[in-house]
Amino acid sequence: MQIDVRSVRRLRESPEVRDVFAPMIGALAGSAADLAQLRVVCDWIQYKANFREPAMARPLLAAGASDPAADSYEIAVDLRRLAASGDVPAAMTTALAQAAGGHGREASPGGDLVWLEPWVPGSGSLIWRFNALYWQALTDWEKATGKEYEQSLPGGASDARNVSAAHDLILDLFKVWDELAARRALPDELYVLELGVGNGGQARTFLDEFQALDRRHGRGYYRRLHYLMGDYSPHVLERARQEIGQHREHTSGLVLEATRLSGSVGFLAGKAFLVYISNVYDNLPTDEVASIRGRNYLVQVRSYLPVAEADAIARRFGLPREQLPPLIGRLVRIGPELLSESVPERFADTGQAVAFWQASWQALRQAERYLPLEGLDTYQVAPSVTGEILRPLLSAEGDVRMHVSNGALASFADALPLLHPFGRMVCHDLFTTTPAEYHAGFFGPGKYDGSVVNWVNGPLLQLLASRRGFGVQFSPFSQRPASHVKTLTAQVRD
Amino acid sequence: MTRSKQPPSPAGGAPGTRAARGAQSLLPTTVVGSYSVPEWLERLKTEFYQRRISTAHMTEIYDMAIKAAVKDQELAGIDIVSDGELRRDNDIDYFLARFPGVHIAQRAKSDYYDYYDAEVTAPLLEDDKASLGLAADYAFTRSQTDRPVKFSFTGPFSLSRRVTNAAYGDQADLVRALARGLNAEARSLANAGAGFLQIDEPFLAGYPEQAALAVEAVNIVTDGVPATWALHVCYGNRYARPSWEGHYDFLFPAVLAARVDQLVLEFARKGPDDLRLIREYEWPSALGVGVIDVKSTSVESPELVAARIRHALEYVTPDKLMVNPDCGLRHLAPDVARGKLRAMVAGAAIVRGELGELAAPAQGGGPPGPAPAEGEPASGPAPPAPAASPPAA
Repeated sequence: MQIDVRSVRRLRESPEVRDVFAPMIGALAGSAADLAQLRVVCDWIQYKANFREPAMARPLLAAGASDPAADSYEIAVDLRRLAASGDVPAAMTTALAQAAGGHGREASPGGDLVWLEPWVPGSGSLIWRFNALYWQALTDWEKATGKEYEQSLPGGASDARNVSAAHDLILDLFKVWDELAARRALPDELYVLELGVGNGGQARTFLDEFQALDRRHGRGYYRRLHYLMGDYSPHVLERARQEIGQHREHTSGLVLEATRLSGSVGFLAGKAFLVYISNVYDNLPTDEVASIRGRNYLVQVRSYLPVAEADAIARRFGLPREQLPPLIGRLVRIGPELLSESVPERFADTGQAVAFWQASWQALRQAERYLPLEGLDTYQVAPSVTGEILRPLLSAEGDVRMHVSNGALASFADALPLLHPFGRMVCHDLFTTTPAEYHAGFFGPGKYDGSVVNWVNGPLLQLLASRRGFGVQFSPFSQRPASHVKTLTAQVRD
Repeated sequence: MTRSKQPPSPAGGAPGTRAARGAQSLLPTTVVGSYSVPEWLERLKTEFYQRRISTAHMTEIYDMAIKAAVKDQELAGIDIVSDGELRRDNDIDYFLARFPGVHIAQRAKSDYYDYYDAEVTAPLLEDDKASLGLAADYAFTRSQTDRPVKFSFTGPFSLSRRVTNAAYGDQADLVRALARGLNAEARSLANAGAGFLQIDEPFLAGYPEQAALAVEAVNIVTDGVPATWALHVCYGNRYARPSWEGHYDFLFPAVLAARVDQLVLEFARKGPDDLRLIREYEWPSALGVGVIDVKSTSVESPELVAARIRHALEYVTPDKLMVNPDCGLRHLAPDVARGKLRAMVAGAAIVRGELGELAAPAQGGGPPGPAPAEGEPASGPAPPAPAASPPAA
């Protein structure tokens, strides 16, 4: 039996965590599982709201098979909640019973889960449609919760208004531009692109500082500056437009998808001197891959509601349980306002539909299984990137499971070509910075209010950048050095 | 180059001249050098540089890949083909790693395309012997096709930019020493039958103030080598991105002193503005005009290619124009590379037709080519003529 404890820090620090192991092993020893083949993976999930049960079975499919072999699974444990449950054997017994009973198969006989979707790679899961809905219908959500989205962020506010950070960035730009101007190689138009503009605070801070510094510098760069603000949410973008005030002549707002930049801002190819992205990547869809005993797997997920919670939601809104999957599907397609209009007998107003949304989101869980990857090249990570990019990370780390960060990778791959040869990309986000981190922690997915959060696989972005001629460095986030947020800087190398 | 040392051509003109070629087809198509490197080959190259594939197996893999690349070019209708530079890890290290006296401490790579850290700690050994093995590379390609072969290698200026110089007090002396080494290599190539050689200077655009030094070094490389010489200067194509921006102004007038028969420049991506320099400075020799944007994955239409050629013909006479992509095709997917080459050939055929000259079939029945160097086929399209005499500085 292999027990993989990732939360090694908690293992050292927490007697409660250590106390989990004896009853856990006792439950396993008392079961009929083939212990020689069994893997137990122990995480400590820091997100109070997440998609996991305290203990769950994760089947490993055989190549070409749609159903797992009986003993081919791993048990995944959340040590935090298992320790808090007070009944470790019961949780383990449930997980083992699920494995033995074919948990996760198409026709789950247990009837203890209300499935909401078929098996899909993580990035295709329902949770991302919930996530998109959150940003599209943010006003409705905020109205129901009574707080703005910034208050849901870990620091309770956006990281956008740091004058000294903007000051340094701008002076670096001036230095590059002065040198290019001396060689008659400075273009007439000087582009800066910000992706994910939040409330416009970053743009405002940058533009105010830029204008002041340019006045002192005396080269007239402000006159040539084009500050492009891109965001997925028209609502957020409109807020940003209001914020930038006097700088409107130098800014443009673009509703765009961060993962498909080549179409929307492809005209910027080779022209952007600064691409700035803050707290976007952690909110983009991702798959996970794993290397287990020398074989590569894609993690498939399937969203469900535990039957008890499904029944509670059904009772609250006067619905039969079997109506929940189609209604949730409809909700994420058309949003709460139209849902209330189309089913007024269940949702008297938008607020009721938002309440249904919030209850469903809160109860949402995901089952997981491992699908063998027959050749990494057959797995398309992003439109321009195949799974071959994963090979160095998967082959060097032994048994490991990591994010593919598909959305971040697609966005990053699309953003790099936008950079002028002397341009740079600056990105603040939750990055892992070494492959080994995946052996020692849990990095998502979790729930932030109504959105999804995943750490971004920094070494993978670094690898992609390297394959495309860019060097990537990670540094602590200067505004909040103690936070998990890191700053990625990408620039042309060679 | 010293054209006076070239053997007389059957038609009495210098090799490669229109007179020598008689009814040679106009607007010959060729490539700049590199060809599409498929992802599977990239993986194998990396495995090789991580010591997981033997040299013997890798050589066989390269041979097979080059055969396929040559075949692709033939099928696309390219008149003058290349080996696709498929044996090379990148445009620099393939040469530096073989240069006697260049020290590379760490020769394993995490990715085959990465650059080595190269250093010279003492003046390079100079003994007139070719040591890079390029003649053997050429000979293999020569054996795989009946068409004329262009053979390209990176020039001394660009090579010098990737070497830490701890040996020469003057960086220019390192450039000249590298040039002398490449001259020995070029002589060996000519002896092996290579009749069309190209020097690539992908780094020059980043150091425009050093154009004169680069040209001086080019002349050292071509000195006494009986071949048609091309000089390719672009704005970089590493990772399919330009490394520099600007205009070709920096090349002129320095490049007028280069003893080469053609300039191969990029115009498809950058636009045709800099064509004016050809007329403004009365560039006397041929021009290889880039009509395919190798940094774009969109396949140009033959009509667009034809339009670009027509534009170039406003500045260059047809007998001095060759048609090629902007740069190497190495970063393009194989199907895109094939599509672009087909479009280029079709576009050239359109303009040839407009010029009143029938497009010659690629094989058999074509007009005679230039006086072939030893080993070169005696028929098929050929590079345009070298200038009758070296252009004045």
